[in-house]
Amino acid sequence: MENPRNVGSQVGESDMECSDNDNDCFDDDDYYNAVDDNDIEQIDPCKLDPENFNYQCLGEEQVERLLNESVEYLSYNLKITPSLAKVLLLSHQWRVNKIIEKYRKDASDLLITSRIKPPVTPPSLPVSRYITCPVCVIPQPSEKFFSLSCAHLFCKDCWVTHFEVQINQGISTAISCMARDCVVLAPEDFVLKHLSRPNLREKYQQFTFQDYVKSHPELRFCPGPNCPIVVHSSENKAKRAICSNCKTVFCFQCGMDYHAPTECSIIKKWLTKCADDSETANYISAHTKDCPECHICIEKNGGCNHMQCYNCKHDFCWMCLGDWKSHGSEYYECSRYRENPNIAHESVHAQAREALKKYLHYYERWENHSKSLKLEEQTLENLRSRINQKVMAGVGTWIDWQYLFTAASLLAKCRYTLQYTYPYAYYMDVGPRKELFEYQQAQLEAEIENLSWKIERAETTDRGDLENQMDIAEKRRTTLLKDFLDF
Amino acid sequence: MAALPRRIIKETQRLMQEPVPGISAVPDDSNARYFHVIVTGPEDSPFEGGLFKLELFLPEDYPMSAPKVRFITKIYHPNIDRLGRICLDILKDKWSPALQIRTVLLSIQALLSAPNPDDPLANDVAELWKVNESEAIRNAKEWTRRYAMDN
Ligand SMILES: [Zn+2]
Ligand SMILES: [Zn+2]
Ligand SMILES: [Zn+2]
Ligand SMILES: [Zn+2]
Ligand SMILES: [Zn+2]
Ligand SMILES: [Zn+2]
Repeated sequence: MENPRNVGSQVGESDMECSDNDNDCFDDDDYYNAVDDNDIEQIDPCKLDPENFNYQCLGEEQVERLLNESVEYLSYNLKITPSLAKVLLLSHQWRVNKIIEKYRKDASDLLITSRIKPPVTPPSLPVSRYITCPVCVIPQPSEKFFSLSCAHLFCKDCWVTHFEVQINQGISTAISCMARDCVVLAPEDFVLKHLSRPNLREKYQQFTFQDYVKSHPELRFCPGPNCPIVVHSSENKAKRAICSNCKTVFCFQCGMDYHAPTECSIIKKWLTKCADDSETANYISAHTKDCPECHICIEKNGGCNHMQCYNCKHDFCWMCLGDWKSHGSEYYECSRYRENPNIAHESVHAQAREALKKYLHYYERWENHSKSLKLEEQTLENLRSRINQKVMAGVGTWIDWQYLFTAASLLAKCRYTLQYTYPYAYYMDVGPRKELFEYQQAQLEAEIENLSWKIERAETTDRGDLENQMDIAEKRRTTLLKDFLDF
Repeated sequence: MAALPRRIIKETQRLMQEPVPGISAVPDDSNARYFHVIVTGPEDSPFEGGLFKLELFLPEDYPMSAPKVRFITKIYHPNIDRLGRICLDILKDKWSPALQIRTVLLSIQALLSAPNPDDPLANDVAELWKVNESEAIRNAKEWTRRYAMDN
């Protein structure tokens, strides 16, 4: 394991050259010279940028084309209809070669397990001229009857009503035969052959499209509201995807809000826990606290957690109410939770209390950074209008002030990652790895609060100073992600 | 109201002519899709001796959709909740338009003979049924006596 390293000490020498793009905000060469990583690592783009992710945002037609390529390929190779190819692809997560391999090995078994054929071949019954439909019990001429490969005959009217009812419940690719205990699926061409109402056909095709995309490991619907975009990537990983249409940022693997460095399963567990314990945690959402020095009531109206009492000018931390002096140093302990080493020998009640205390420690910080993110958005709005006034008054140009917006968006990105380090830490086992994580988390937190402090006082802060602070914060963020974002 | 489908007429006729042993299902005078059902508690079950009232309703798209069935008489059973709703696969995802009112009622009768605490609807009942079956059965008998025998 690598030792915690003080990246910040290198930063003073680096020049900020590309402040217009918050993705490459620091000089990679300088960074890599500063640490003793070897050259091989630079080949992998993930080592340079742990959040690197190759993906495309596709529209419906592009997705259609991509899916059709697989359908046509499979249908050509197995000499089956495109409709049956779709049934196979859906049940095999679009792994074309796997399907062909299985087909070559035991075609009948593949067709049965994929619910295309019935497990037992139906006896060929002599078809009389008139048949009574088992569903509507109306006798009709045999031309009016249809069946799937299982030979269960039903009249056309019953098939149509069956499809209508299923489609109106949102079921499409999973529509099966009407016979009792029969699992044979109705393929697309069979359904469409019977459906005549255009709006129902459209609905059906819309639902099948959704099923195809959801079953495809390389495709993900953008979770943004009413957004038609589908993200395509060949790596099914918990990486950050940004929708080109609605700008929603989400985790490609699970579709939830992006959550690095926490894993998908952990963030799910954490969010469920937070929802379950929302009452317990409610009392935390205080907007005011008393100054620990003069006890005057202080309201928090910015995102920065480095507070300064307007009355006595005491600098303190909003989270722990400790002196801010202790937060700027190597001994920053505010983010860390100290577990009671003897807890195993305590009573059940004491253990429950301890568990709650631990959860609240992490929850409070998670929640607080989420609030800070929102407050900092307001700060940015205020900044925008102040800068607007300045530009109108002839103080500088828009270009001159652009770096402040870059700084604000970098701050948001850093604080977002910081927020998601808390669930990660909560579920970590005690040990050297957790110590290293908390060390880096503390470093990141300290630099983020410094950055926030400087941005709130942006107009009086020296630009070079601010840009140095941005550089340090982003380096802390990527260092933590490089060490802990593992796939 | 639309004319009653042939399917429902046929089923009703057969239910009247050849009733299922231990079950009576009579359509309501004013609504032919609504059935008053009485199921006799099966022999050798904790529900023996009880008469359980149920209501069964055939929705507009029956038989494409399953009938809606509910116990009216209170019953202590792991697959039936306080509101009388029944956890039975053929009433949900295993429904097939080829199934009938008759098959549904037979399945409900079978559920009384063989409760399935691993697929519970009433969690507290199912829990007790798993950890202390004899106490659960005692409760079921007591409920049968108290709620299903007076009428
Ligand atoms: Zn029919
Ligand atoms: Zn069939
Ligand atoms: Zn989108
Ligand atoms: Zn995820
Ligand atoms: Zn004060
Ligand atoms: Zn603190």
